[in-house]
Amino acid sequence: MKRLLGSRFLQAILVLVVTFVIFRFGIQPPAPWSVVTLYMAIVLLSVLVWVSADSDSWRAFLAPIRATLVEERRRPLLYALLGLLPLGVGYYAYLQAAPRTEAPVELRVIHPAPPSSITFRGKTLDIQGLENPLRKDAATLEQHVREGGTIYVRNCVYCHGDNLDGQGHFAHGFSPPPANLADPGTIAMLQESYVFWRIAKGGPGLPKESTPWNSAMPAWEDRLSEEEIWKVVLYLYAATGQEPRRWEHAGGPGPAVASGGGRPPGRTLPGPAAAEAQQAGDVALGRRVYERKCAYCHGLEGKGDGPAAELLHPKPRDFTRGLYKIRSTPSGQVPTDRDLFEVITRGMPGTSMPAWPMLHERERWALVAYMKTLSDRFQGEPPKPVAFPKQIPVSEASIARGKEMYEAIECNKCHGDAGRADGPSAPELEDDWGHPIKPANLTQPWTFRGGPRREDIVRRLATGLMGTPMPTFGETVQDYKEYKKGESEEKQDPKVWAEWKDANLWDLANYVRSLGPERPNWATFLVVRGVEGEIPLDPTAEFWERQPAANIPLVGQVIQDPREFAPTVAQVSVRAVYTSEEVAFHLAWDDPTPSKPDPAKKVFADAVAIQLPVKLEPTERPYFLMGDGARPVYLLTWRSDGGVGEANVTGLGKLTPQRGEAVQARGQVAYADGRYRLVIKRPLETGDANDFAFPAREFFPVAFFAWDGSSGEQGSKGSISSWYYIRVEAPPSRRQFVIPPLVVLLAVVAEVLAVRWARRQGAGSR
Amino acid sequence: MRTRALIAVSLIGLLALLLFGLEPRAGAQGGGTVVGEVKYQGTPPAPGMLKVTKDTEVCGKEKTSSELVVGPDKGIQWAVVSVTGAKGSPPKPAKKPALDQKGCEFHPHVLLVPAGAEVDILNSDGVLHNIHTFSTANAPFNKSQPKFKKVIEAKFDKPEIVKVKCDVHGWMGGWVVVMDHPWHAVTDAKGAFKLENVPAGKHKVEVWHETLGKVAKEVEVKAGAETRVAFELGKK
Repeated sequence: MKRLLGSRFLQAILVLVVTFVIFRFGIQPPAPWSVVTLYMAIVLLSVLVWVSADSDSWRAFLAPIRATLVEERRRPLLYALLGLLPLGVGYYAYLQAAPRTEAPVELRVIHPAPPSSITFRGKTLDIQGLENPLRKDAATLEQHVREGGTIYVRNCVYCHGDNLDGQGHFAHGFSPPPANLADPGTIAMLQESYVFWRIAKGGPGLPKESTPWNSAMPAWEDRLSEEEIWKVVLYLYAATGQEPRRWEHAGGPGPAVASGGGRPPGRTLPGPAAAEAQQAGDVALGRRVYERKCAYCHGLEGKGDGPAAELLHPKPRDFTRGLYKIRSTPSGQVPTDRDLFEVITRGMPGTSMPAWPMLHERERWALVAYMKTLSDRFQGEPPKPVAFPKQIPVSEASIARGKEMYEAIECNKCHGDAGRADGPSAPELEDDWGHPIKPANLTQPWTFRGGPRREDIVRRLATGLMGTPMPTFGETVQDYKEYKKGESEEKQDPKVWAEWKDANLWDLANYVRSLGPERPNWATFLVVRGVEGEIPLDPTAEFWERQPAANIPLVGQVIQDPREFAPTVAQVSVRAVYTSEEVAFHLAWDDPTPSKPDPAKKVFADAVAIQLPVKLEPTERPYFLMGDGARPVYLLTWRSDGGVGEANVTGLGKLTPQRGEAVQARGQVAYADGRYRLVIKRPLETGDANDFAFPAREFFPVAFFAWDGSSGEQGSKGSISSWYYIRVEAPPSRRQFVIPPLVVLLAVVAEVLAVRWARRQGAGSR
Repeated sequence: MRTRALIAVSLIGLLALLLFGLEPRAGAQGGGTVVGEVKYQGTPPAPGMLKVTKDTEVCGKEKTSSELVVGPDKGIQWAVVSVTGAKGSPPKPAKKPALDQKGCEFHPHVLLVPAGAEVDILNSDGVLHNIHTFSTANAPFNKSQPKFKKVIEAKFDKPEIVKVKCDVHGWMGGWVVVMDHPWHAVTDAKGAFKLENVPAGKHKVEVWHETLGKVAKEVEVKAGAETRVAFELGKK
């Protein structure tokens, strides 16, 4: 053992292995591979320097290698190495030659150095050394924090979220993701004037080193005043419990001011939750948490009228009526404490109600206790959950029964024949407060308010969603069984009843879940496949089914006025192919109403657009939101009232459609069951300098837009995406099967040469 | 079968007992009658027309709104007239009240129900309806009623004017008026009403209409006599 450790060679190997393990697994969060590779290269160099420090050391290091190459008794090891090394190298070559499945890595500076001064609405502000003027007066601080919160929930919350964790309900649509302000690596490391600068100038104001220009952060100086931005900055620090970095003043420490009125979330109550908290939530504590966290949307009195409410859809719930959607109790009853606790903990998917797991368990139980004081419907006997039907596992027979129930009880009246929320009653639905409300799109279970699991669906069917048009169906399904029993007796076909006697709501839930996946499976990049022959223009052609689809999330355009807070189109499914002559995109998206434009009724055309840069530059891309004057974008468009077109744009609302012969794109659309399908194709080469020249290189950026005209969307009001990379897949090639064998062969030749050289050396030295 | 028949017979017997045995005879105690009309003040608007966009084979292509029905003599139908603050046990109905959904309308548009009574909600249409109540004193509910579900039972315990809606057919609106005393009535197509056996004395008589709101008047009722009272309601 001692001899083994004394070996220079093994020492070197040991150092390499240990450092690799530390770099790979010892750093949290894990360091990227590129960083690990860099570090390992440095370590390898140092080890080589160390072992070759003097000639004795170098000889000691080489001895085992030479011995393996030369000595008779080490032959088995030599042969094993001779076999394994080329195989390893060949596998690496195969990985490199195989088509890549990731977008290229982009390096950019996240916290660029701030400019020393900025021009804010014509006024020069010195960022260096600038302090938040609102911190001077401690008496008004709390008031300013509250006002900052109101501005925050009406402007910032969609992306940065109620918890300031960058998890707002539109956050998934942006790449890079919105900043997590609660992370100690963000605002806690910055001076307040830096944060002011980032808010005022946004993504468009980032300096050169932060290119490519991907940040969706708007330049808020267009909408917020200087004082309003300072208030928001106060709120950011108060709500996250962070302290801003201070400028180091020559004349001693700056004004000593505590950070705002709010306490950090989740840190109010250290220590384990009391087990009995379920029954005895602390109303006073609940009220404090409510006023800090819930009142911005649900209002101080719980009427659902907080400052954020008017911009949210669906509307925040009015707690004073005691009508709750997500319950385990029968229609007409209030929810159990556990029901309320679960909704606070899990949030309501598809709405702006986030999950609040960061609140301490006792705080959540306290909130439950406080919420129950907001409506007198909670007085009286505690509610009892409905009996839960016996679970039926997923099977074809169960799904078939569920489909029959779906049709018999006419779920399609609201949810549509294919579940895409396009039923005839869907457009006129209202909640109990008279606000318009949309039925769930059953093909997108991740937006189900009470959760996508089968048991969640069974519960919603059994108890209904109070305050909404969704009724209970528990008894109804029992009645349908009776009906099937009658049918069975009438037809004297006992098989029917045998099939139905154990049927229950689980069948319907199994069917509903068969309409869509639990998770959205959103793409991170797209592929345009090389194909041969004619590309079909018909979007329903079987050809398109065979192409892989990438689901791209779309979110409301909340950056420039007028904004869209409740977009209809939440994702677009994209397929793309090209031949030696043309390129084609196949888009599919859900829209419950095919719109016929009627401006008098505020109904506009349905539309989509595919955005591409006009010119590809090495690092910089146009502004993701329709480009700007310096870097315009090129659009392939479709409108329900004008068909397919091409356009050039220099910013939102600054669109110049191409006309006449310049338009070489063609397309065809099909609409059925709440879903549009569209093919747009164009010659590869158009000879037009205003068009995107395709395909310019392996990766190029692409973005998507959609408008639902019947909900008043047009112009800047609509759904948008970030830039995505699209990869041009070469026509089928054998590259990955040709190159690796060649590499293996070369490696073997190199080995043989090395062995012969070592032997000759060995012979010479003897 | 036999038990059911037995239960039915005893129920009928019980009902008869209640109707003829226990019901206080208000007339015998010296009550009077209040009769009158509810009329529209000013020029009534043209009846609202609703375009039907679904289930047209059952619902028809067009509907006349029942929200405000004004007769040729400006009489307002579906107004509820009641003696407010009156104390008395609710009358026992001769037959179980029923709210029918027929031709995608509620029949009757306004249903009077004594507090504590059960109501049959019928689906005569053979398409999906849902019964969505907007009550606050009674527990609100929202139940589906597909074509094969002919009857749903509902119970209203507390006095309240309850809006009933079918979300599937957005135009379908109706009212269940729950009263804990016998002195109330719904106006007919001419706007006429009749309250019988009202105890003698001074009373406040109130009219409620779903779109026109409330109006009240002092009325003196004399035993064995008929008191006439006229109401006028208009858009405010």
